[in-house]
Amino acid sequence: MLRRILLVAGLAGGAGFGLFWWLTIPAVVAANALPAYQPDLANGLTTFNAGGCSACHAVPNQPDRLKLGGGLAIPSPFGTFYVPNISPDPNDGIGRWSEADFITALQKGTSPAGQHYFPALPYTSYQHARVEDIRDLFAYLKTLAPVAGKVRDHEVPFPFSIRRNVGIWKWLFMDGLPFTPDAARPVSWNRGAYLVNSLGHCAECHSPRNFLGGIIGSQRFAGGPDPEGEGWVPNITQKGLADWSAKDIAYFIQTGQMPEGDSAGGAMARVIKNTSQLPPQDRAAIADYIKSLPPVEGPPRPPKKAKNDDKS
Amino acid sequence: MDKPRLVQTGSRLRLEPLLEMENWPMIRTVVIAGTLLLGVGTVMADQDLAVKQDNLMRAQGKSMYGVLLKTVKGEIPYDQKAVDAAIADLEKSVPTISTVFATNPKEDVVNATYGAKQSIWKNKADFDAKIPPVSKAIAEVKGTVKDAASLKVAFDAIQEKCTGCHETYRVKLK
Repeated sequence: MLRRILLVAGLAGGAGFGLFWWLTIPAVVAANALPAYQPDLANGLTTFNAGGCSACHAVPNQPDRLKLGGGLAIPSPFGTFYVPNISPDPNDGIGRWSEADFITALQKGTSPAGQHYFPALPYTSYQHARVEDIRDLFAYLKTLAPVAGKVRDHEVPFPFSIRRNVGIWKWLFMDGLPFTPDAARPVSWNRGAYLVNSLGHCAECHSPRNFLGGIIGSQRFAGGPDPEGEGWVPNITQKGLADWSAKDIAYFIQTGQMPEGDSAGGAMARVIKNTSQLPPQDRAAIADYIKSLPPVEGPPRPPKKAKNDDKS
Repeated sequence: MDKPRLVQTGSRLRLEPLLEMENWPMIRTVVIAGTLLLGVGTVMADQDLAVKQDNLMRAQGKSMYGVLLKTVKGEIPYDQKAVDAAIADLEKSVPTISTVFATNPKEDVVNATYGAKQSIWKNKADFDAKIPPVSKAIAEVKGTVKDAASLKVAFDAIQEKCTGCHETYRVKLK
């Protein structure tokens, strides 16, 4: 009897583990699935600026936004992530990566070694990007100066440290669908929708997240507590931006200046260093799309409490 | 045990016995009430300090955005006197940031849109090091502003240094 129970338990456990293993196999893009392509470096630059790559990957506390040696610390409820080196350095950066490795990283969130990346890399948004844009971006990154220096490992405690679990997270929160334009809307609006939801990855910060760290879809763009631990990310639906015209939004992402007479700080200051480099028509497109977001109530503010010293 | 009573020794009145067990609840009440009062006092002082720090930033914001940016954007006509006054105010006010932000108020201004990050108080030297570049930018543009075009150049130069600190040490609360 006991033997049978153990056998059944063993089989169930094995089947459960098998299912877990199968669900969490890191997805990859095969090199031979990519058609021949002549990359467009100018579009690579636009993609680089729209994607805000340098907002996180530039070496902190120095002025050169093209020095992509990484090192920035990103605190989160799941631990602290340290942004890797994506310069073309062959040893410490992505110099030895194939184009397929790069597309796999951005669209599947899988490293060249076949490991899941943590979603601190916003592949949930980048998955919607056009493959051509990513190929152009890869070609553009190759033109930048290599930066030596490997970045330290993430400081992520158990159980989040088990990379395989990220496979379940992806299964829950990644749809894998390409961006589909809305034929009823103008071309500029669709360009804006594309930039905001794929490369721009605006929703990654401007949406509340559930306890697993997945974006709450019904409150997309409605703001919420800053995942870095202090402060609040503003609601950018018309609930929060009703007083801003599309022109105000475009001016803001160009200069950081708000219509109410203030300027961007925090992570948004880094974002604007990138959006300020975009072609004006792309900024106008982003503004058109953001201005069209229907008003959505964001999450409630937690009760006010005094700060203490050991929090940062 | 005796009830507490007043005892006169020479010209001094004394409550006796002071440290008997029966008096502890009373003493405890006094101590707790005193601590609470002190606590309330501290919180109030913190809020005052937070407001003081916030007001300094607001005053500078008024010069930067209320005068200079509005002129750059053409929302108000170019007025050399007002522009010069705004730059002079900034020049005087910016060096005071490090002293006004000398102590952690440990709370944000009630209902404020922005606050100061707690990391300031762990990296005060780095915070302070971001202030002289702002003063330098102001000193460099002072006297170069003659019209809307030169004002825009000056504004951008100062603004960049303001953001140099806001990027790291300002937090949006709403």
